[in-house]
Amino acid sequence: MDTNTMSYKSKQFLMFAGVATAVFTAVVIVPFIYGLYLTFTSWDGVSKQKPFVGLSNYISTFADGAYWQALGRTMIYSVIAVILVNVVAFMLAFLVTSGVKGQNFFRAGFFIPNLIGGIVLGYIWKFVFNRAFVAFGNALSIGALSTSWLATTSGAMLCLIIVSVWQYAGYMMLIYVAGFMSVSADVLEAARIDGCTNMQSIIHISVPLMVSSFVQCLFLTITRCFMVYDVNLSLTNGEPFNSSVMAAMHVYNQAFTYKNYGTGQAEALILFVVCAVVGVLQVYIGKKAEVSA
Amino acid sequence: MKRKLLAVALAASMVVSLTACGGDGGSTGGGSGSSNIAITIFNSKMEIQDQFEEMAEEYSKAKGVDVEVYYSNDTVAAHLATRYSANDPYTLAMVDAKDIYSLAADHASDMSDQDWVKNTQYAISVDGKVVGFPVCVEARGVIYNAEAIEGITGETFNPDDYKTLDAFNGLLDKLVAGGMEAPTGVMKEDWSLAGHFLSQTYEEQPDVDAFVSALYEGTADLPNNSKWNSMMDTFDTLKEHNYAAGSPVAAEREISEQKLAEGEIAFMFGGNWDWSMINSYDYSENMGMMPVPQNTSDGTNEKLVGGGSKYFFIDSSSNTSDEQRQAAKDFLNWLVFEADGNAFLTEKCALVPAYSNINADALDPLSKSVKKYADEGKLIGNYDFLPDDHYSICGAAFQKYLAGQTDRAGLAAEIESYWSSTTPVEH
Repeated sequence: MDTNTMSYKSKQFLMFAGVATAVFTAVVIVPFIYGLYLTFTSWDGVSKQKPFVGLSNYISTFADGAYWQALGRTMIYSVIAVILVNVVAFMLAFLVTSGVKGQNFFRAGFFIPNLIGGIVLGYIWKFVFNRAFVAFGNALSIGALSTSWLATTSGAMLCLIIVSVWQYAGYMMLIYVAGFMSVSADVLEAARIDGCTNMQSIIHISVPLMVSSFVQCLFLTITRCFMVYDVNLSLTNGEPFNSSVMAAMHVYNQAFTYKNYGTGQAEALILFVVCAVVGVLQVYIGKKAEVSA
Repeated sequence: MKRKLLAVALAASMVVSLTACGGDGGSTGGGSGSSNIAITIFNSKMEIQDQFEEMAEEYSKAKGVDVEVYYSNDTVAAHLATRYSANDPYTLAMVDAKDIYSLAADHASDMSDQDWVKNTQYAISVDGKVVGFPVCVEARGVIYNAEAIEGITGETFNPDDYKTLDAFNGLLDKLVAGGMEAPTGVMKEDWSLAGHFLSQTYEEQPDVDAFVSALYEGTADLPNNSKWNSMMDTFDTLKEHNYAAGSPVAAEREISEQKLAEGEIAFMFGGNWDWSMINSYDYSENMGMMPVPQNTSDGTNEKLVGGGSKYFFIDSSSNTSDEQRQAAKDFLNWLVFEADGNAFLTEKCALVPAYSNINADALDPLSKSVKKYADEGKLIGNYDFLPDDHYSICGAAFQKYLAGQTDRAGLAAEIESYWSSTTPVEH
C-alpha cells in the first residue's frame, strides 16, 4: 500500500488526531479568536449589543496603570518564585535519589502539596500566617512573627512566594527525579573512577545530562507563576490595599467585576503574549544547551 | 490488517472516553410528572440556600411546578453573564439592585401589573416599568452587643442615648475604664469600608445625586465637606478603639464577628446580614443595630441606611416560555400573599420583609432593629449607581487609611481623583 499519498496521510491523521483536533479547535481555538474579536467591542458581559469600538480597549489597557503595576508585580513574583521552586525542587530530587532511608515515602510526601487545590491551599496557609505564626510569635515573643505577614505589602508577596514554592516544588521534584534516574550509571561510575567528587559529578555529569528536565520545569513554573490566580484569590485576595493583585486577578476584576469585558480581554491577550514570549524564548535557549551522553 | 483493526479500536475507544466526559449536564429536573412546567431560580444569598432547596421541593409538590434552585460562588454579574452567553438564563434570578439597572433593558420582563407592587415601596422600575421584586430589607449601622455593655456599666443600654459622637466616646471611655480594653471592631474588607461606610457619606448628603455629580466634576471638596468630616470623625473613634488596632488589615471577619457575638467587643459597623455569621457563635440575644453616632443635627444620626436588598427579575428572552414566566409570577405572589410563602421569607430565612402586608415576629435581633427603623420610616435610601470598581479602588485607599499609611487629607485626595477619572454611570 502506498503510504505517501495525501489521502492516506489525511486519513491517518483524521483517524488518530481528528477528534482531538476538533475538540481542541472547539474549546481553545474558537474561543481564542472570539476573544480576540471581543477586544474590539465595548461589551459589558451581559448585554445583547456588542458595540464595535476599534482599538479603544487597547488604548485603555495602556492607560490602565493598575494593570501594568500588576504585571510588573507578577514579573517580580515569577522571577523569585521560579528560581526558588527550581532550587528547592532540585535539592529535594537530589535528596530522594541519593538513597536515604525511606526515600519513596519522602517522594510521596513532598509531592502531596501539589494534589491539594490552590484555593484550599490558600485558605490553609492564610490560617497559618494569620493565626498559627502570630500565636507562636506572641508566645515566644518573636517580633517578626507577632503580627500577620499578610497585613503588609511586602509580607503578602513573600507569603505568596512561600506558598507557591511549597506547592510546586514537589511536582518539579518528580521531573528532576526522572532526570537524575535517566543519567546512566556507567557515566557516573566512569566519572568516579576518574576521581570526581560527588559534587563534581553532579555539576559536570548529571546537570548537563538532564538539561531537558530543567527546560520542562522552568517552562511549567514560568507559565504557572505568570497565570497564578487561585492562590492569589484565597490567600490574599489582593489585600492589603490591592497591593498583591497579580495580572490574572486584575484581568478577572476588569472583565467581570468592573464589567469592562473588552478591556479585560485585551489585557488578558497582552498577558498571554508576554507569557508566550517568555516561555518560548526559555525553551529555545534551553534546547540549545541540551547535550547527549 | 489485524494491526489496523487494533488501531481503529483504540482510536474509537478514545473517542468514546472523550465524549463521555462531556456527556453529563444534559438532563435536568426530570422526576415527577414530565408535563409539569419547570422553572429555574438563581439564589444569590448563600446563607439561605438550604432553606431555598427545601422550599423548592415542597413548592414543587404543592403547586405542581418543578422548581430548581441554583447558587454560585462567582459574583452575580459574572455568573449571569455565563448563563446568558450559554443561552440558558434562569427563569427567575435574584440579583443586587445595580444588576437590575444594568440587566433590565435587555433581559427583564415587565411586572407592573402584579398585585404586590402596591404593597412595597422598594420595587425597582426602569423606564416606567416595574422589573425588580424586592426580596427583603437590609440596612447598615453600628451593631452593638448590649449584654456586654450592660455587664460593665451596670445600666440598661439605650442606643438612643448615644446619637452623638461625644456621647458615644463617653460610653467607650467608660467601657475601657471598666476593663474592655478595645470595645470596637472594624472590618477591613473593601466592600465594607468603601461599599458601605464610605458610600454612607454620600448617601447622607442632603442631595445625593448632586453630590455625586460634583464628585465626578471634581468640585465636591471632600476635605471641607461637613458630612465627610463627621463620618470620618466617627470612623477615627472606631479605628482608635479597634481590638485589632496593631494590625487592622489582618483582622479576619470571622474573628471580629465572634468577638462581637460573645461580647469581647461591643460595637462594629455592619448590617443585619452579619447575623448569618454571628449566629454560628455563642451569641448574646441582647444585640441590635443603631445609627452611626455623629455630632450632627441633620437627623442622620437617628436613621439607619438601607432599603430593599436583593431583587428578583424574570427573564424576558425567548429561552423562557410564557408559561414559565407565569409560573415565576405565581411564585412571587406566593411569597407575598400566602401564609406558607410569608413563613418561608420571615421564619425560615429570617429576612426583613419588604411588603407591608407581611408580619414578622420571629426575626433575629439585628433584623428586628432594622424592621423597627424601617417601620418608623427611619431609613436613608441606598444609592444604587456607584461605579462597579468604586468599592475596590476606594476600598484599597480606605484600607491604607485604616492601616495608618495615609491621613484623612490623603484619603480624600485619592477618592476625589478616583471619581474625577471615572466615567459617570448613566441612570
